[in-house]
Amino acid sequence: MRNVVVALAVVFTVLLLAYATYLGALGPIPPNDLRELAKALLERSYRPWNPFNTSMCPEAVTAVVWDFRGLDTVFETVVFYGAIVATLALYRTTSRSLGLVGERLSLIVRYATLVSVPMILIVAAATALHGQLTPGGGFQGGAIAAVAPVVALVVFGRRKLLDLGVTYVKALIVRNLALVAIALTALGPLIAGIVLGIDAYVLQNQGKVGAPLSYPPWILDVPSGGSVILFNIFEALAVAAGFTLVFLTLALDEETARRELVGEDRGW
Amino acid sequence: MVGDPKTLVALIVLFSLYANLGASMYGVIARKNLVKKLICLTMLGDTVNVFAILVGYRLSRGGTPVPPVFTEWSKASEKLLANFVSRSVDPLPQALVLTAIVINLAVTIFLATLILYTHRHFGTVEMDRVSEMKKGELVDEVEVS
Repeated sequence: MRNVVVALAVVFTVLLLAYATYLGALGPIPPNDLRELAKALLERSYRPWNPFNTSMCPEAVTAVVWDFRGLDTVFETVVFYGAIVATLALYRTTSRSLGLVGERLSLIVRYATLVSVPMILIVAAATALHGQLTPGGGFQGGAIAAVAPVVALVVFGRRKLLDLGVTYVKALIVRNLALVAIALTALGPLIAGIVLGIDAYVLQNQGKVGAPLSYPPWILDVPSGGSVILFNIFEALAVAAGFTLVFLTLALDEETARRELVGEDRGW
Repeated sequence: MVGDPKTLVALIVLFSLYANLGASMYGVIARKNLVKKLICLTMLGDTVNVFAILVGYRLSRGGTPVPPVFTEWSKASEKLLANFVSRSVDPLPQALVLTAIVINLAVTIFLATLILYTHRHFGTVEMDRVSEMKKGELVDEVEVS
């Protein structure tokens, strides 16, 4: 009976939403033309002939993510790492107890992994470093890079990964340094502005009228997107390290993980 | 007009998205198994994301729409940029969806860990059985005190 009521309520809600769409709540779908906001964003993402009103980033989505809506992305990063910290905090004691064993897989799988792991890392680096020119960016690159330690964890076992130097503490250090670098990149123009005695803004990428500080818009003859490429690199490192931390922790054997629950039999 | 193939495809996509939305909402509310609830929650998030992408899509007169990447940057001119703007899809929903995916992922990691803990503590991820065990523990505590 309860399920029938829930099903009816869900059907009613979905029909209501569908009717709103039919009445044009979301505009025509698919739209015939771009909104003015979208046109403004596309026009300003890359136009080198107007250096005071562009982000010098031909990939408009990355320009939106790290320049036009940079503050939004900074807080998104805070939420993401908040969730990772919350996950790790649940394993507060076992995170320090290393020296665990894991079964490795067969020779064929191990050699195939040895070939594929560097390739995964190359694709990740290309995705992050080209984020301002082609689809991709810091988060995507970091997420791809995080696949490498996960595959290695399953194929070689946790201990081998720790022997190779991919440890909890190192991943933590990389993640924290990358987060500090993101903060410094965001605050860099402001600090430089205070030192030089000129106007500057937090998350400023290219110079504006009255606030002339800019991150270098070119790397040799390729557009760098100014601060966008720095954000992409640091975000990729932070995401890859954050995921590695979580996977190293989740890969604990059942016996060790259960030690966390000792003394918590009551009080739920 | 439904007779137009592009509109027909958009209608089919919209219909399937609403069906997906209903199925995932039902799963989140009615399923007893926490793992299935989590799967339905990720389905719900992905469906809403596809909605946002669809709203940011556009029909382009005189050619197919292009991704919001200005590929001709090496010979950029005002004319090429205007041509790009006239054909590109909206970059803003894509950026917002990227943010939503990251937040979704963070929430999924946290919820998966909590479900893992629930399983370790109670030996099950069925909500009804967990509630019964919690009631039993409460009775025990009252009797002890």
